Amino acid sequence: MYLELSHLNKRFEDREVVKDLSFGLERGELLCILGSSGCGKTTTLNMIGGFLRPDGGQILLDGEDITDLPPERRPVTTVFQSYGLFPHMTVLQNVTYGLKFQGCPRAEARKKGLRYLEMVGLKDYAAARIHEISGGEQQRVALARALIVEPKLCLLDEPFSNLDAALRVKMRRELKTLQRDLDMTMVFVTHDQEEAMILSDHMAIMREGRLIQYDRPMEIYHHPADAFVARFLGVKDLIWEPDGRLLKVIRDGGAE
Amino acid sequence: MKRNILALSLALAMGASLTACGGGSSSTPAPSASTAVEPTASQAAAPELSGTMKVVATGDIYGPLFEQFTADTGVDVEYISMSSGEVLSKLRAEGGTPSADLWFGGGIDAFMSAKDDGLLEQVQFDAAEDLDPTYRDADGYWYSKGITIVGFLLNNGLMKDLGLTDPTSWADLTDSQYAGEIVMSNPAVSGTNYAVVNALLQSLGDEEGWNYFTALNDNIAYYGKRGSDPKNKVTSDEFAIGITYIDRSIEALTEENDVSIVYPTDGIPWVPEGVAVFKNADNVDAAKYFVEWLFSNDDHLRTLAELEQKDGSKLIKPSLEGVELSYDPSILMKEDLSQFGAQREDILAKFETLMGDKANVADE
Amino acid sequence: MNKPAFQSRGKRVSSKEALFRIGEGVDKLVLLFLLGSVCLFVLWPMTCILLRSLHLSGGDGFTLSSYVQVWTKYQSALRNSLFIGIVSALLCTLFSVSAAVFLSTRRGWMKGLCMAVLLVCMVSPPFVSSLAYIQLYGRRGWITYRLLGLSWDPYNSWGVIWMQALSFVPMNALFLIGILSKLDGGSLRAARDLGARPGAILRDVVLPLMRPGILVCLLLSFVRSLADFGTPVIIGGRSTTLAAEIYLQVVGYSDLEKSSAMNMFLLVPSIAFFFLYRALMRRSDRLTEGARGKQESLSLPLFRCGPLGWLAVAMSLLFFVMMTLQYGCIFLSGFLKSTKGVYSFTLKYWHQLWTISGSTMVRSVIYSLIVSLGGTLFAMLFAYYMERRRVPGRSLFDCLVTLPYMLPGTCFGIGYILAFNHAPLKLTGTALIVMANMMFKQLPTSTKICSASLTQVPVYLEKAARDLGGGQMAVVRDVILPGLRPAFLSCFVYNFSSSMTTAGSIIFLIDPGRQLAVFKLFDAVYTGDYALASLIASAITVIVLAVEGLVFLISWKGAARRVS
Repeated sequence: MYLELSHLNKRFEDREVVKDLSFGLERGELLCILGSSGCGKTTTLNMIGGFLRPDGGQILLDGEDITDLPPERRPVTTVFQSYGLFPHMTVLQNVTYGLKFQGCPRAEARKKGLRYLEMVGLKDYAAARIHEISGGEQQRVALARALIVEPKLCLLDEPFSNLDAALRVKMRRELKTLQRDLDMTMVFVTHDQEEAMILSDHMAIMREGRLIQYDRPMEIYHHPADAFVARFLGVKDLIWEPDGRLLKVIRDGGAE
Repeated sequence: MKRNILALSLALAMGASLTACGGGSSSTPAPSASTAVEPTASQAAAPELSGTMKVVATGDIYGPLFEQFTADTGVDVEYISMSSGEVLSKLRAEGGTPSADLWFGGGIDAFMSAKDDGLLEQVQFDAAEDLDPTYRDADGYWYSKGITIVGFLLNNGLMKDLGLTDPTSWADLTDSQYAGEIVMSNPAVSGTNYAVVNALLQSLGDEEGWNYFTALNDNIAYYGKRGSDPKNKVTSDEFAIGITYIDRSIEALTEENDVSIVYPTDGIPWVPEGVAVFKNADNVDAAKYFVEWLFSNDDHLRTLAELEQKDGSKLIKPSLEGVELSYDPSILMKEDLSQFGAQREDILAKFETLMGDKANVADE
Repeated sequence: MNKPAFQSRGKRVSSKEALFRIGEGVDKLVLLFLLGSVCLFVLWPMTCILLRSLHLSGGDGFTLSSYVQVWTKYQSALRNSLFIGIVSALLCTLFSVSAAVFLSTRRGWMKGLCMAVLLVCMVSPPFVSSLAYIQLYGRRGWITYRLLGLSWDPYNSWGVIWMQALSFVPMNALFLIGILSKLDGGSLRAARDLGARPGAILRDVVLPLMRPGILVCLLLSFVRSLADFGTPVIIGGRSTTLAAEIYLQVVGYSDLEKSSAMNMFLLVPSIAFFFLYRALMRRSDRLTEGARGKQESLSLPLFRCGPLGWLAVAMSLLFFVMMTLQYGCIFLSGFLKSTKGVYSFTLKYWHQLWTISGSTMVRSVIYSLIVSLGGTLFAMLFAYYMERRRVPGRSLFDCLVTLPYMLPGTCFGIGYILAFNHAPLKLTGTALIVMANMMFKQLPTSTKICSASLTQVPVYLEKAARDLGGGQMAVVRDVILPGLRPAFLSCFVYNFSSSMTTAGSIIFLIDPGRQLAVFKLFDAVYTGDYALASLIASAITVIVLAVEGLVFLISWKGAARRVS
């Protein structure tokens, strides 16, 4: 296993937020952690990212124990829900910021930054300030910034939650393409069932700090572990694209 | 929510109510001088007085004296401390509508300026005859309640540490051994230090006098912008020599601190401490009567001497019994007070250039 | 208008309409009251000072002679003012930024202790701080001479710079802590996530995001230094500043024309900086807007931030140690008696303290309470109308209200006498003029605090209130004022601390019958009774802290009651 979480525990004061969580992920795969709010998915992500220290358990990445490493020393980057872009820097400065700490020469960083901006379709905005670009564009800057340092693992914390529905569908597709092209391993946290079904190679469904089911989306769809999972997914129908990719999930509605 | 509204209406109402509560006393038109009661005897029966007399004083030690006045006349006394420069500025800004009635204490130069600006009320009474004419205005615009004398205050510890010999005269102060160790107040803010400049100029003559101050200037650490600076700096071990007023409070300092007083052998400059009534004040009558009340009765002067711990009132009223001078009046410098006010502007201007030149050099 | 508008919805339309009209009317009245007050209590006195400087009032005819005199005579004082202003602003900002970053990254008792020191330092009684400074660092200072054996002269520009820098820190630091608490935590986490060490985060993210705030601090300290006359008068020695010379003109020469002209000179750089301030403040808002203004401590291990972090730690420790020493010295002095250089404990001054009439203290507290509550409410409303409503001439009014900040207090007091000594505006001798002077002297800072806080109140809340049928007054009452609750406390603390210790501007306005505590302090300083002065200063500090504590408690309880 490329990423391996074993027996993670986390409590905030007297509340157990993550209980004995274990799962693994292969290189180049995208995992979605799915659950309703308060299920511990963001806490899990923060522990992988190094922003929270687990009370117990271990996190292995590419064979290395990263459990006790601070965020700046983990080969892991995050795309935050609020993007966390630096308002005082230009788009390009934002994107190339992480390269500073890899000893990357300035000229090269600039070249690489422009390449990544082109990848996310923002080459023309290199000199723009953050408050001058739209929410969707900010989202892409955050993505480019996280990917440019070529992390071993990229974490995404509900990155599309601030975007409108149409943009969300578009970004979803772009992210999937980008992930395949770069062969990037990603962990994606969401509460959106459709997003998870469409994006993920593996899905982890969490509830009250516990892992309920971990499998490929279609496996979960066809063989939900229990009535909760089935109800939570609430899939009525699936619409497929001609190339065999999942296009749309039609849900019962109100199943959350 | 209600509280916010309450606070708002309170603020709106604040304006009206406060003006109302303070405005009463100031709206009474002041009686003109001609209707004032002509005093007949030295201790005439108190005229019908009422209201409150507002006093600007140089300190807050005069309570018992004012209480006695209240007991005698029924006039309440309220007082606040202000330096004479502040009083003069305030008077000028008020443009003839003073907010106080009596001016009690402060260097006489400010009183002279105020008289020239027409800001003072003439006060005349019989007992004024008994007062030494040197210390009062011939036209009765100001009187003196005492004099302030000037001497040196030495910090014994510092003098010893720095290996300085004690100066005994004004002439000694220009000795280069004292360079940077003498503190004096800017004569513009300190009536006593202005007296030093004026008196020495008078006694030495203009040319020699200015030569003296040019030489002294080399030894002065800096000119304090407050009258009490020299005394304070010497007492707190900051400088060795201070040119300061000398009174019993300074004498008391010598008991608690390692400081000593020097009365310069070549003469002691002095300055009268003025008493005057503000022209156009709300309670001119009470203030005028206070002046008469104070100077006509020796008991009152003795109370004053006791409160101030000063004996200058003996000079003001030579007939006064029970107050003895602690020094021989002959060591006082000869000063022509008539020059005091008239020359002030010129002297200060000259002095400013003197200080200014040095200040600029010191800045570099 | 106590009833929310929607309660009357069921009734006849006309009554609802009438209520709405009343609301609109009150809104206009409040605005008129605010602008009118600013004209009356700022513009008019300033005009009087201007007229006086041109010899247009007080008898003689129009002449520029005072300006000519000032220009020829005070260039070196002006230069020194600018020099002291710039250096003390730089030093003060360094201290303030360090203290703010340090405090924001601390938690627990250390933070509590440092915040307490800051609050105490907000109370800065005149004179005694400088006296304590001399006692500690003077030629025979406890620390410089007795402890370190140094023999140095503190009476120069550097003494003034040092003193000013330290005394401006508390206000600046509190302001910067506010800015830091609004920083987007996401940016910090993102930087860390991308591999930035704490030092790099401080350098690349925290400080750049604070930059507008830092510049504001620089400007405010600079202007404040220009207008400060107390420090150079007491410890300037030979070094003089324009503000000190103005003071000298007033108390030494009583030359109102010249001192007024000097004021006008002082205003030029100050007003220039005001417009710079406005421009910078706008940028600061943009950098922090959209951030989720959560009051959480900055998670930045300052001790692992490299040289920059160590500098911040060292500067803040130096500041807190010096402040503790200074205030400790003030307090101790009240109980020490020096007999020929030997100190011994005494209760003499303690007993003397109790002879001060209680009514003086009570009056001080009452005046200060009225000024603080009135001034805070005024500032909140003023900030609201300036920031959120399209008031014609708003930048003019915003500048006007800032003017008193730029003048030496003495002159603002003189301006009030000039302005209010004749009917129909005869206010001299009243309590109103004293309180108005205090309030408008402090209003520049109060409105800045409120404006800054207003950016935290989302515009959509206002829209929501109006959408639900509330008029302009309902917006103010139900959205703006409650939203400014955090500003209320800081505004109140600032106003109350300042009012209790203001002396320079109101010495000319106070009526002999209505003494304030601070003048008892003056008397003690004047007679050289430092011990008593120190004790009075300590007493004032304790009273201020007690009243502030009480107000905190009340507002906290009020908030708790509202929630339940």
